[in-house]
Amino acid sequence: MTAIQVDGLKKSYGDFAAVRGISFEVPRGEIFALLGRNGAGKTTTVEVLAGFQAPDEGTVRVLGLDPVRDRVRVRRSVGIMLQEAGFLPDLTVAQTVDAWRDFVAAPRPREEALELTALSAKAATRVRQLSGGEKRRLDLALAVLSRPDVLFLDEPTTGMDPEARRNTWEVIRDLAGQGTTILLTTHYLEEAQQLAASMAIMDQGRIVSGGDMAETLATRAGRVAFELPASVTPRDLPVPDATLEGDTVVCRVADPDLAAQTLLSWAAERGLRLRGLEVRTATLEDLFLDLAAGDKGEMTHDIGKEVA
Amino acid sequence: MTVSARDLAVVSRFSSRLFWRDRVALSTSVSLFLGLGIGLPLLMDRVGAGNAEFLLNQHLGVLAMVLVIATFTQIAVTLTTRRDQLILKRMRATGLGDRDILGGEIVSLAAQSTLLTVVVSVALYALTDLPVPRDPLLYLVSVVAGAVVLCLLGTAFTALVPRTELAAVMAMPFFFLAGIGANGFGPLLELLPGWVGTLLGLLPTAAVVDVAKIAYAADGTFAGDLRAAAVPALNLAVWAVIGVVATARWFRWEARRS
Repeated sequence: MTAIQVDGLKKSYGDFAAVRGISFEVPRGEIFALLGRNGAGKTTTVEVLAGFQAPDEGTVRVLGLDPVRDRVRVRRSVGIMLQEAGFLPDLTVAQTVDAWRDFVAAPRPREEALELTALSAKAATRVRQLSGGEKRRLDLALAVLSRPDVLFLDEPTTGMDPEARRNTWEVIRDLAGQGTTILLTTHYLEEAQQLAASMAIMDQGRIVSGGDMAETLATRAGRVAFELPASVTPRDLPVPDATLEGDTVVCRVADPDLAAQTLLSWAAERGLRLRGLEVRTATLEDLFLDLAAGDKGEMTHDIGKEVA
Repeated sequence: MTVSARDLAVVSRFSSRLFWRDRVALSTSVSLFLGLGIGLPLLMDRVGAGNAEFLLNQHLGVLAMVLVIATFTQIAVTLTTRRDQLILKRMRATGLGDRDILGGEIVSLAAQSTLLTVVVSVALYALTDLPVPRDPLLYLVSVVAGAVVLCLLGTAFTALVPRTELAAVMAMPFFFLAGIGANGFGPLLELLPGWVGTLLGLLPTAAVVDVAKIAYAADGTFAGDLRAAAVPALNLAVWAVIGVVATARWFRWEARRS
């Protein structure tokens, strides 16, 4: 059964077309990642799904309901972790959670929400004293207070340290395991690859690639890279499409394991060593970079920063 | 969309708790309300500046002014702050309805203003020659209705306020207009052209003062009071409609996107 349905969504702010006709569906209980660089249209899409903005064209449905017309009903079944939403800086973490518990029906106990987001030790800390990552965790605690059927997470781990990020991934996985449908936007490609069953990559308001995560990546080339031995040119190598990036040869191949075996056998026969050999299957980052290479815009530069 | 009594009460309680923690709100809305509301009429009474009627006019004139501060100005400041801090957006991300969020804020401030008015009035009954109103219920109704209408107008007014720090300054002229119109600064209207008084008589604070004067009048009947209060009540109803329509049409839940 479909939890989130987007069909031909368009949304503009004045002359700026933020979303230019996108469609996707998310089945119940699945984690769906909406990827893209800043300004790609991810947050606008989430804001429309959450009923903060009305679509200019197209339809969106969350649990079969129109998020604008049936906003209150939708919100009662939905948790929203906004990229930009404020806190009352003088309240403590516990006071903030208590206040928000009053706003939702049948809320989780405060301790459960704080434990879930690893904030129990910060219960008595004023919000103004929290780090950026801790505020994101408090954001998540508020979003899951109502035990929502659908969770929108807009850049959920921005500002978190690696440990907090991995803990948050665990929380997200657990929630999905309990049947919560999760739509997350992120520009951390590893995050999407770790969590999501399906995804869509947005660029300039359009979906430029998407579908089942595993299937999408299976169709992409893997990567074998090593330092080119002296007296060897890329054309001498027994694999097609080897390119030189500085001193490193990069081979994009459908089956990187097979290519690596072929290369090692070839090198052994000639008494050569393939220093810095790196073999890996396709990643979301490769897909992103491929799309960026096709784009010829600024995307390559931006992605480089975001995935770093 | 309907209003949920439960959600209205929840937001109202939340807003009240935040209000009593807010030192700025306490020093402006509460201290000024009590200081001016009690202090000015008490001063006039002590120096023997006038008779009981003068004292009543002074009391109600000052009350009109401080009501503007505690309702119109305070709600404009509160809502623009919460709008610009994206607190309203976060509240909307819950199952709360828009009417419950704004209604809760209005109920909170209207209740507190009414409470402050009761404190001011009782203090003046105890400390001065100000008489107790003949019809206390009508007096109470006028204050509650005035506070609600002023809060509604303050809510609608936020649409004109570009950022938080301008809210109080931009609301200031309404404080002065209410004060002049209700003779809170003394009988200034006598020095101004007649049309100014007529115009300021259309303000909602003027309607509150008119109804309160009916409640304080020495003679009268229940039916007579209702008849006399009809025109000011209509005045408040018109302002309430203006407030509701303007809020529905122009209220902004988030700061303008830059």
